[in-house]
Amino acid sequence: MERFRSLVFLVSILAAIGLSAGHVAVHAAAGGADNGAQTPATAKAADPDAAGSESYAMHCAVCHGDRREGNPPGVPSLVNIKSHLTDQQIAQLVREGKGRMPGFPKLNDDELTGLLEYLASAPPVSPVLAGNHHGRPELTAEAVAGGALFAQNCAFCHGRDAMGGETGPDLTLSKLVLADTDGSKISAVVTEGRIEKKMPAFQFSSQELLTLAAFLRARVVAAAAMKGRRRGVDVSDLQTGDADSGKKYFDGAGGCARCHSPTGDLAGIARRFEGLQLEMRMLYPKDAKSSVIVTLPSGQTIAGTLAYLDEFTVGLRDKDGVYHSWAVERVKYTVDSPVQAHVEQLAKYTDDDIHNLMVYLQTLR
Amino acid sequence: MKFPTNAIAFAASTLLLLAAGSLPLPAQNLEPEQLLNPSSESWPLYHGDYSGKRHSHLTQIAPQNVANLILAWAFQTNQLAMIKSSPLVVDGVLFFTVPNNVWAVDARSGHMLWHYVHKTEEGEFIGHRGVAMYKGWLYFTTPDAHLISLNAKDGSVRWDKIIADVKLGYWSTMAPLVVGNHVIAGVGGDLDNLCGYLRSFDPDTGEVQWQWDASPPPGTPNATTGGTTWMTGTYDPELNLVYWGTGNPTPVLNGATRPGDDAWTCSIVALDPDTGKLVWGFVASPHDTHDWDAVETPVLVDADFHGKPRKMLMQSSRNGYFFVLDRTNGKSLLTVPFGPINWTSGVDREGRPIPNPDKEPKPDGRLIAPDEGGMTNYRSPSFDPRTGLFIVDARPSWSLYFTKPADGEYGWAGADFGLWSKSVIEAIDYQTGKIRWSHEVGQGGSGAGVLTTDSGLTFTGDSTGNILALDTRNGKTLWHAGTGAPMQTSPITYELDGRQYLVTGSGGVMFAWVLPVSKPTRVAR
Repeated sequence: MERFRSLVFLVSILAAIGLSAGHVAVHAAAGGADNGAQTPATAKAADPDAAGSESYAMHCAVCHGDRREGNPPGVPSLVNIKSHLTDQQIAQLVREGKGRMPGFPKLNDDELTGLLEYLASAPPVSPVLAGNHHGRPELTAEAVAGGALFAQNCAFCHGRDAMGGETGPDLTLSKLVLADTDGSKISAVVTEGRIEKKMPAFQFSSQELLTLAAFLRARVVAAAAMKGRRRGVDVSDLQTGDADSGKKYFDGAGGCARCHSPTGDLAGIARRFEGLQLEMRMLYPKDAKSSVIVTLPSGQTIAGTLAYLDEFTVGLRDKDGVYHSWAVERVKYTVDSPVQAHVEQLAKYTDDDIHNLMVYLQTLR
Repeated sequence: MKFPTNAIAFAASTLLLLAAGSLPLPAQNLEPEQLLNPSSESWPLYHGDYSGKRHSHLTQIAPQNVANLILAWAFQTNQLAMIKSSPLVVDGVLFFTVPNNVWAVDARSGHMLWHYVHKTEEGEFIGHRGVAMYKGWLYFTTPDAHLISLNAKDGSVRWDKIIADVKLGYWSTMAPLVVGNHVIAGVGGDLDNLCGYLRSFDPDTGEVQWQWDASPPPGTPNATTGGTTWMTGTYDPELNLVYWGTGNPTPVLNGATRPGDDAWTCSIVALDPDTGKLVWGFVASPHDTHDWDAVETPVLVDADFHGKPRKMLMQSSRNGYFFVLDRTNGKSLLTVPFGPINWTSGVDREGRPIPNPDKEPKPDGRLIAPDEGGMTNYRSPSFDPRTGLFIVDARPSWSLYFTKPADGEYGWAGADFGLWSKSVIEAIDYQTGKIRWSHEVGQGGSGAGVLTTDSGLTFTGDSTGNILALDTRNGKTLWHAGTGAPMQTSPITYELDGRQYLVTGSGGVMFAWVLPVSKPTRVAR
């Protein structure tokens, strides 16, 4: 099935490219195609102006790349350059150069017009993008460009279709992605990374970040269209337990009630979190804080939230939010980490315990 | 330079050259014989030598003076890609990589000699492990699964061959292994149902000599695909066997279409390097459904095992088990977990873990230890012959694994999510599997690769970015330096002009550490 869908997706990409920036919906044709992985190597971009394309290849591609991807941050991507520069501005840049970019004063008007037309066309796309995509995507040129970027940099962890895979979460279910109307939230995460979750930071241009966001939005739409056949973990998948047994575990063997209360800190928890997010939080809340008390050589003690700890340095934020740190051999310190109880519990759960507890927590609305 | 097996020939050629009035200067020329007995001035193979011990006989940097280490140089790649490669050092030049990039750097000064860039956007950019060398030529694998031969003098391309078809979903990140006149290269690619394989190339012409397939052709009924070959193997010249670890089966998390053990995925195999024929195989994770590639270094050790001299192969495997095999025949000597695992119902008579069917991924999820990154991963362990300790970056971890019919039977076919992990450097007694000492290196992330030396030092790193020098006997910290990013590779060492260099990569920077020149500190042993 995957291969069939990938063929459909490839067809839709080719169609989108063939019609330049047109927004084309391609409907899946019924049939038994099964060799979608044999992507035709001949997939080529439409070429609205061969002269412009040649001119680009001769003058620009050496720095900005065959697919206009650039090499950020030094060399900007030219994908969708026309959305933030006018023809006049581009022409001036090309003629006069800027910074490290040389000028091309000898380009005649016809060549320049051809180049501008070429830059307005959809960029060539790597056929690798046509992997295992789903649904009937209506991909804009922007989303196609973002898809190429995603395939190279993100797909290994988040899956080629952004629906999760090797450790990386399903981005089509991400609250942040779903809430991000202008691409700013996605851009911030990509640019800063999520070091604590092992996600590296990427230095993409603002234009590239927008293409990534466009690709993710297209993936959200495609994923939503799958309904019951949706990959990944749905809320409905996590309902196999029994609430009464879950409550019993909460109050008894699980030891949850030692720290938590269904009418206290957990009141309404199921309104704040759901599905996999709730279950993962239940098993180990990654944002839980530890507190620390540091005793200085003078005997003075400073308490705060543990902010850094390795073999050599201990750091805290005090009640005013100010960061302090010490070499560990100069002080005594005591860390109080209630979340450690969650780690110890991991070795004790049966899978039934987890499923029961999960159903019980969902009653706390 | 010392080449014991070649001493007479070397002396003779030196005399000839002297007679001709010219001194023999080293010239980036690595003869296959030098790979059999690497000189202390070189690190000519991914693992340093063919055994995979990542152990050096150098002793200048020692427990007594390691606290004095200073920075000799740092080399900035000026790239975001993290250095995951283990450098080669040949004739005073250090070669290392990130995806699509190779650098040649003066091993004394860190000065760049050349930088080669392979231009492709196809394939996978997840990491790169380094180059291989034969005579004056380097061999470099690419994200689009090409094998490129470069002139070591200037980085110019001699030829460009194809290891596998990137359009099908293959890529390559590994450092090839040179054995005799074979350049053995492998593939990555488990996002699709593909056959993993090794391909041997002629070092001069690039012609394909043989191919060994880890699994049957895609489409074979009730058979697995997969078994990628993305890490560098080891070699026993006496037995003339190459040892390789293979990756997970595909579909990855859904094992329904591939009943049985799924050989030779998640396996350790012994191959004849001249023909590519399988001599024996050992399935480290029968019927894997958790992505636990068994590609970790197959470390070759000749020593006593329970009182009998043995030719052994040791692997700390991603699935959480430490294996000791008799490498003449692949028979198990020891199988024991080196951290928390919960996915088996025991170990069978052949020393293979027995997977618990209820711990395969399920629609409502299964709690699994370790997580998909595994109890350890590609960063190298080290075997210290003096103490008999196998030292590994271990990662106790827990995760949730899911698969359901909608996830299909292609590629990943499920989803998994890490819950919690920490990293611990563990020193394993290879005769019992008992952990003699452990040294915690931080929450969350994974630790670094490990290097041991004859002076009794263990070099590694923590999850916050410190490089650590530990006392191999007890794991106590003797020196550290913050580098700004956790080490994602494995340290190497070499000696030039009587000075021992330790080289470690963190983030996009390569660091070389030495003892200060002003304090002669050679330690006699």
